Amino acid sequence: MIRARIALGIRAQLLLVLTVFLAIPWLGYEYVRELERFLRDSQERTLAGTAQAVATALHDRPQLFEVRAAPLDTLPSERASDDVTLRPGAALETPESPEIGQILHGLSRTTARIWVVDRDQHVLARAGSLRHPSAASAGSAAEGSSISRFGAWLDREALQPLYSKVLQQPTEEFSDERSGGAVAAGRDVEGALAGILTIDRRPTADGRAIIVSAAHPIWVGDEVKGAVIVEETTNAALAERNRAFARLFNIVLAALLVGSVALTLYASWLSSRIRRLRDEAEAAIDARGRVRRPLAGSNARDEIGDLSRSFGSALARLTEYASYQEAMASRLSHELRTPIAVVRSSVDNLALQPLPGDARVYIERAQQGLSRLANIITRISEATRLEESLAEAERERFDLARVVAGCVDGYRAAYRDQVFDLRGPSGEVPFYGAPELIAQMLDKLCANAVEFAAPATPIIVALKHEENAVALEVANEGPPLPAKMQGRLFDSMVSVRQNRGDGEPHLGLGLYIVRLIAEFHGGRASAANRDDVQGVTVSVVLPRVRAVR
Amino acid sequence: MSRRIAIVEDEPAIRGNYVDVLRKQGYEVAAHGNRADALAAFRTRLPDLAVVDIGLGDDIDGGFALCRELRAMSATVPIIFLSARDSDFDIVAGLRLGADDYLTKDVSLPHLLARIAALFRRSDLLATPQASEEILERGPLTLDLKRLTAHWAGKRVDLTLTEFWMVHALARFPGHVKDRDGLMHDAKIVVDDSTITSHIKRIRKKFMVLDAKFDCIETVYGMGYRWK
Repeated sequence: MIRARIALGIRAQLLLVLTVFLAIPWLGYEYVRELERFLRDSQERTLAGTAQAVATALHDRPQLFEVRAAPLDTLPSERASDDVTLRPGAALETPESPEIGQILHGLSRTTARIWVVDRDQHVLARAGSLRHPSAASAGSAAEGSSISRFGAWLDREALQPLYSKVLQQPTEEFSDERSGGAVAAGRDVEGALAGILTIDRRPTADGRAIIVSAAHPIWVGDEVKGAVIVEETTNAALAERNRAFARLFNIVLAALLVGSVALTLYASWLSSRIRRLRDEAEAAIDARGRVRRPLAGSNARDEIGDLSRSFGSALARLTEYASYQEAMASRLSHELRTPIAVVRSSVDNLALQPLPGDARVYIERAQQGLSRLANIITRISEATRLEESLAEAERERFDLARVVAGCVDGYRAAYRDQVFDLRGPSGEVPFYGAPELIAQMLDKLCANAVEFAAPATPIIVALKHEENAVALEVANEGPPLPAKMQGRLFDSMVSVRQNRGDGEPHLGLGLYIVRLIAEFHGGRASAANRDDVQGVTVSVVLPRVRAVR
Repeated sequence: MSRRIAIVEDEPAIRGNYVDVLRKQGYEVAAHGNRADALAAFRTRLPDLAVVDIGLGDDIDGGFALCRELRAMSATVPIIFLSARDSDFDIVAGLRLGADDYLTKDVSLPHLLARIAALFRRSDLLATPQASEEILERGPLTLDLKRLTAHWAGKRVDLTLTEFWMVHALARFPGHVKDRDGLMHDAKIVVDDSTITSHIKRIRKKFMVLDAKFDCIETVYGMGYRWK
């Protein structure tokens, strides 16, 4: 559960950081709007230029305006021509002024609609149309690799609908109030007739398109004789903007996708390294808090590598400390020996003196105390000497059942008040190890059991013969193990005994010796409360098949 | 003529106590606090027996060197190591240098006196060639209880005093199991079980040098040892 939280942590955090990059599409959107403004400006300039060009062609030619302009409602064919797609020259079917029509004819292929009106706003000529067949949808058939086809499919199915929601789409389906053949009185026309180049922008009546128009006066001498109006929808600019927007968005989306995948992978890698480090650190220390094996510091030169190395050195220091603690006992016994020798030799000397009777009592007490002290030192040194002798212990093949049976016989003689119940297989239990050490281990197990056994209860010594291991269990009835000590029972100098005041030193080295011998044989010692009765079972599991060192 | 014992011990209190008790027993005692003094004194006159500590002040292995030098001067003078160090490594090293015994400092003075007396007896009797009547024979094993010497099939087994007493304790009643406490008592030492185990191992090895098939000392697991 800890693992899941940590893994989610780094990845989720990085993805959260990644949301910063969502500002990029917004920036892109701003940029595209800027582009749109620029396009619009240039469209206006172009229209103004066209209007000026047409007007230039018509300046100072009064004869062109001699013809009476047709009334507004006499252009039925015009109406029809606006509803169909562009036919070149269609707008010139009934030119009011054939000469102007002639001039405009050459301009009819532009994307704009050009009007020429006289001072009374009568239409003299017209060319071009506002509506154009969509140029976009052509091309880009199903060619190229499957990836590009998939990209195209994605674009068509997912992205374009999304964009069309966000952006206004240009449409050719709009109503045009000027399609009636007359130029409705607009700001542009009025301005032009007043002699000023006017640019206007107006939405269509249904609001589905915006029409940009430029009107330029036509001068005959100093007099404004008419005006040229050039109109165009913003559809082309809009389409251009949309295309740019879509392209930008596609790129940003792809970059975001690739970026987040890469970051997720990176975060996974990172968290897996951290997890591995944590697992290693956890595995390096066992339940008893002892360093099981040193941490192999990673070679990575980054901070995680650093972390693992400092973990490693911290563990190494911990190991040093632990071995210092374990060597404590040895040093202690060594250091105590000399002062004890001073006291003992002094008391012994005193005892050899002629002394009054009551002084003897004190000498005797002093000697008792000394022998207890010597006993303690002997026990301490037993553990440390065992550690030393394990290094050169010799293994041999022997019958474990016989050794155990012999030991139990010995205990029956040594502890006459105690009943020993030996349960073991009938046959031989061949084992490869050091028999004296096994006997020493059993000594400690049984001494421990005897000490905790309730009066008149049997001590069960069980030898279990399994395929790959033998289990040696010594069980007694008595007080259960205190829960907090369970993991540390087999450590040096750890004792759970109540002080019974019986004068025997309790150094907590017995089970430590058991552990050392079990570990020497590649096995493991453990203690548990009994299920059947109140009591404790201490068991040692030793692997049987063991390669000769 | 009183016997002359040299004590080489860096701790003045212990040295003083040993000197006192030995003088009371009628020995002549020369006490030395360091290796150089002791060596100078040995060159002037050899002691009849030397009790040597291993660590002499800053000279942590001074006793070993002194033992080697003393042994070079005399092949027969009994040497007892008396040290606070009780590791197998030190015991083996000390005995290999030709010491007759190795004791840890928690030995009591009466035990120490008993050893010193026994060693003197042994060196006295070794000097006199006549046969002793106190002989214990168990098959190929012959123990001379006066001289404290052991022979296996006529060949001398070089046992320390402690080892001799242990062999004697076992061989006296063949077939009887002698537990570790009994062995300690008979050998006049107070040590832990695994020291007994290593003593027994060393004794077996010494016999096996003479007879590779030696297996007279049997381990009875959980109880002790017995002579077969």
